[in-house]
Amino acid sequence: MATNLIPALDPAPIPGPVWLFHLLWVVTFLLHMLFVNVVLGGSILAALAGNGRRELQSFFVNANSWAISFAITFGIAPLLFVQVLYGRFFYTATILVAGAWLGMLGFLMVGYYLNYVAKFRLQKGQSAGLAVPLSALCFLIIAATQVMVNLLHLQPSRWEGVWTQAKSALADPTFVPRFLHFLLAALAMAGALAAYVAVRRSKTQGQTAELAEMARFGVKAALYTTVVQLLVGFWLLLALPSPVLSGLMKGGAATTLPLGLGILAGIGLLVVLAGIRDPLAEGTKVRRAMEFLVGAIVLMIITRHQLREVYLAEWKPLEGAQVAPQWGIFLVFLVTFVIGVALTVYAMVKAATDKPQAGEPAA
Amino acid sequence: MDYPLWIPGIGAGVLIGLVAITHVLVSHFAVGGGIVMAVAETLAVKRQDQALRNLAKRTSLILILVSTVFGAISGVGIWVTIGLLHPVATSALIHSYVWGWATEWVFFILEVATALAYYATWDKVRPRTHLLLIWLYAFAAFMSLVIIQGIISFMLTPGNWLQTKAFADGFFNPTYVPGLVLRTGICVFLAGAYMAFAALREQDLAARARLVRFLAGIQVVGILIAYGGYRWWEAALPESIRALFLGASPKLPALASTRHFLLWMLLAYLVFVLFALLAPKAQRWPITAVALVLAFAFFGGYERLREGARKPFIIRDYMFSNGILISEIAKLNQEGILSKAKWLMVGQPDDPVAKGRAVFRAQCAMCHTENGYLGIRKLISGADAETLDMILTTMRDEGEKYTSNQYRKNGHVATEKLDYPFMPPFVGTEEEKEALKAYLVTLTGTKVAEVSHGN
Repeated sequence: MATNLIPALDPAPIPGPVWLFHLLWVVTFLLHMLFVNVVLGGSILAALAGNGRRELQSFFVNANSWAISFAITFGIAPLLFVQVLYGRFFYTATILVAGAWLGMLGFLMVGYYLNYVAKFRLQKGQSAGLAVPLSALCFLIIAATQVMVNLLHLQPSRWEGVWTQAKSALADPTFVPRFLHFLLAALAMAGALAAYVAVRRSKTQGQTAELAEMARFGVKAALYTTVVQLLVGFWLLLALPSPVLSGLMKGGAATTLPLGLGILAGIGLLVVLAGIRDPLAEGTKVRRAMEFLVGAIVLMIITRHQLREVYLAEWKPLEGAQVAPQWGIFLVFLVTFVIGVALTVYAMVKAATDKPQAGEPAA
Repeated sequence: MDYPLWIPGIGAGVLIGLVAITHVLVSHFAVGGGIVMAVAETLAVKRQDQALRNLAKRTSLILILVSTVFGAISGVGIWVTIGLLHPVATSALIHSYVWGWATEWVFFILEVATALAYYATWDKVRPRTHLLLIWLYAFAAFMSLVIIQGIISFMLTPGNWLQTKAFADGFFNPTYVPGLVLRTGICVFLAGAYMAFAALREQDLAARARLVRFLAGIQVVGILIAYGGYRWWEAALPESIRALFLGASPKLPALASTRHFLLWMLLAYLVFVLFALLAPKAQRWPITAVALVLAFAFFGGYERLREGARKPFIIRDYMFSNGILISEIAKLNQEGILSKAKWLMVGQPDDPVAKGRAVFRAQCAMCHTENGYLGIRKLISGADAETLDMILTTMRDEGEKYTSNQYRKNGHVATEKLDYPFMPPFVGTEEEKEALKAYLVTLTGTKVAEVSHGN
C-alpha cells in the first residue's frame, strides 16, 4: 500500500505529554474491560445456565443492568485518549467498516434493553425466555466488531484491500484467536465472579443448594475456559505477523515481563481453579482465583497496548507531532476526577448501608 | 479530507441530524428530570406528600431506561457518527477539548451510578440518603451540560480562540452563558412536559390536579428561562450571524422562518401550560401530548437555527463543513483538492468525470447527495455547462473573500454578504474545476429549470 493513504497528522498540538495519554488510556481501558468482561461473559453464562440455574441467571441479569451502563461510561475515556494518540489510524479503520461500526450501537441498545426485559420477567417470577441468549448474541457481535476495527487500525497495509472489498476486513489470521482470547477471558472472569459472589452470599444467607450450584457452575466455567485459553493464547502469539512477534520479543523486559507474568498469572489461575473441590467451603481459593484473573487482565492490557506500538512502529504514528500541554484544564480534570470518584464511592456506600431501622420511614 | 469518505444513503447531514436530535431530546430530559425529581422528592418528604413521591418514583424508571440506556448509547452514537463523517473536525475538537470531555466523563460516572442507585433503593434506604442520590444525580447531569455547552457553542462562536487557540477562550465563548441559560430552561420544561404523563397516572383526582399544577408551574419557569436565554443568545451573536436569520438577506428565507416558527411554538406551548396551570382537573393526555410536541418544536427549531447559522462552517470562521480550513484555501487552489483527498481516487479510472466525481465527494458530498437529500441532480437539472462554469467560478472567487480582509473583522467572516452564504467556496486547481464541471454535466437532465442555491 502507498504510505500516503495514511491521513496527515492533525496540525493541532497534543494537549498534554504523550506518556500521560498512554497512562490514562491503559488505566481507563482496564476499568472499561473489567465491566465489558462481566457483560459479555455474564450474559453468555446466564444464557448457558438456562432457567435451571435461576440464582446465577438472575445474578448476571441484575448485575448487567449496572455493568452495561458502566461498560459504556468507562468506554468513553479510552475512546477519547485513543483519538488523541492514534486518531488518524482509528478514524480510518472505523470508516472502512462504517456500517458495522455504526451498527454496533444498534446491537448495544437492543442488547441492553433485552437485558431489562429479562430482568423484569425474572422479577415477576417468569422465565427470561429468549431475552438472555439474544442479548448475549448482541454483545458477541459487538465484541467481534471491536476486534475487527482494532486489528484494522493497527495495519494500514490492509486498508486499501478493505476499501475495495469490505469482506476482507475479517481476513486477518489473528482475528479468530484474538476474538477467542478476548471471549474466553470474559467467560473466565464472569465464572470466577459468579463463584465469588456465591461464596459471599453464602456467608449471609447460609449454604443453599442454589448458591452451591452457582459457585460450582462459575468455577467450572472459569476452569474450562482457562484451559482452552492457554492454547488460544499461544495460537494468538504464533499467529502474529513475524515482525510484530519479534518486535514484541526484542522489547526487552519492558515487553516480555508483562507478557511473561500475564502467562504465569494464567497458569496460577488454572492451578487454583483445578484445586477447588467445594467452592462454598473454599472461599479463600475462590478469592485467590479472582485475584489471579484480575492480575492477568491488567498485565494483558499492558501487553495489548505495547503490541499496538509494535504494530504501528513502522508507520511512526506520532512523528512530527507537537505537544502543547493544557495544564490548567488538566488540573481541573484531575481535581474533578478525585472529587467525582470520592463522591461516587460515598454515594454508593451510603446507598448500600443506610438501611432504615424497624419503625423508621424508608424513602 | 485525508480520510476515506463514507456517506450513508440518506446523506451525511440527515444521519447526524437523526442521531443528534434523538440524543438531545433525551439528554436534556436527563438533566431537567434530575432537577425536577430532586425538587419533587424533597417537597414530598417535607410535606409528607405520597402522590408527589410516587411521581418521582414513576419517573425514576423512565429516567434509567431513557437516560442511562438510550441517552448514553446515543451520546456515544454522536461520537461514532461524527468520527465517521467528519474525522478531521472530530480530531480538531479532540485536540482542543479532550480535557474538557474527560472532565465531563467524570460527571457521567457520578450520573450513571447515582441514577441506578436511586432507582434501586426506593423503600430500601433512609429518605435523606435517597435525596442525596437524586441531588447528586441532578448536580452531575447539570455539570455535564455545563461542559458540553462550552464545546457546542464554541463551534458557532469561537470568539477569541481564533486568534489565541487557548482552551478557555474557546470554551467561554460569546454565546456560552446565554446558551447555557437557554438550555437549562429547555431541560426544565422538557422534564415537566415528560413528567406530566406520569402525573396523569395518579388515581386520586385531587392529587392528580395538584401534580399537574406543580409540573405546569415548573414548565412556566422553564419556558421563561428558555425565552430569556434565547433572547440573550441572539443578542450575543456577532452581528453578521444574527443577520442570517433576521431576514437581512433575501437569499436566506429558511432560517428567518425557522426563527419565527420556534418563537411561535414557544408561545403556543406557554398557552397550553397556562391552561394546565389554571384548569389542572381538565388535563388529559392528548393535551399533554400536544404540549410536548410544541416543546419539541421549539427545541428542534432552535437546534436547526443554531446549526443553520453555522453554515457553511463546522467550526465557524475556521473549518468549513467539508473539513477544509480557511487557512488552506490558497494552498489547495495551488496544489489541488485531490492532493489532500488521497482516498477518493483509489480504484478510480484516471479520466475527468471520475476525477470530477472525486472532487464532488471531497467538497460537496458532506451536504449534497446525488439524488436524495439536497440532491445535486435536482438542484442543477437543466443547467448547461456554461451556467455551471459561472457558478463554480463565482464559488472559487469566494475563497478569496474568506482570506482577504474584505469581509473579515477580528477573524469573523460576514458570510451573509457572499453570493453563496451557506456553501463553502470551491477550492482546487483549474483542472479540478473543469473535472467537477464534466461530472456535473453528466447529472444534468434536459428539463429547463432555475439553478437553486437556497439552503
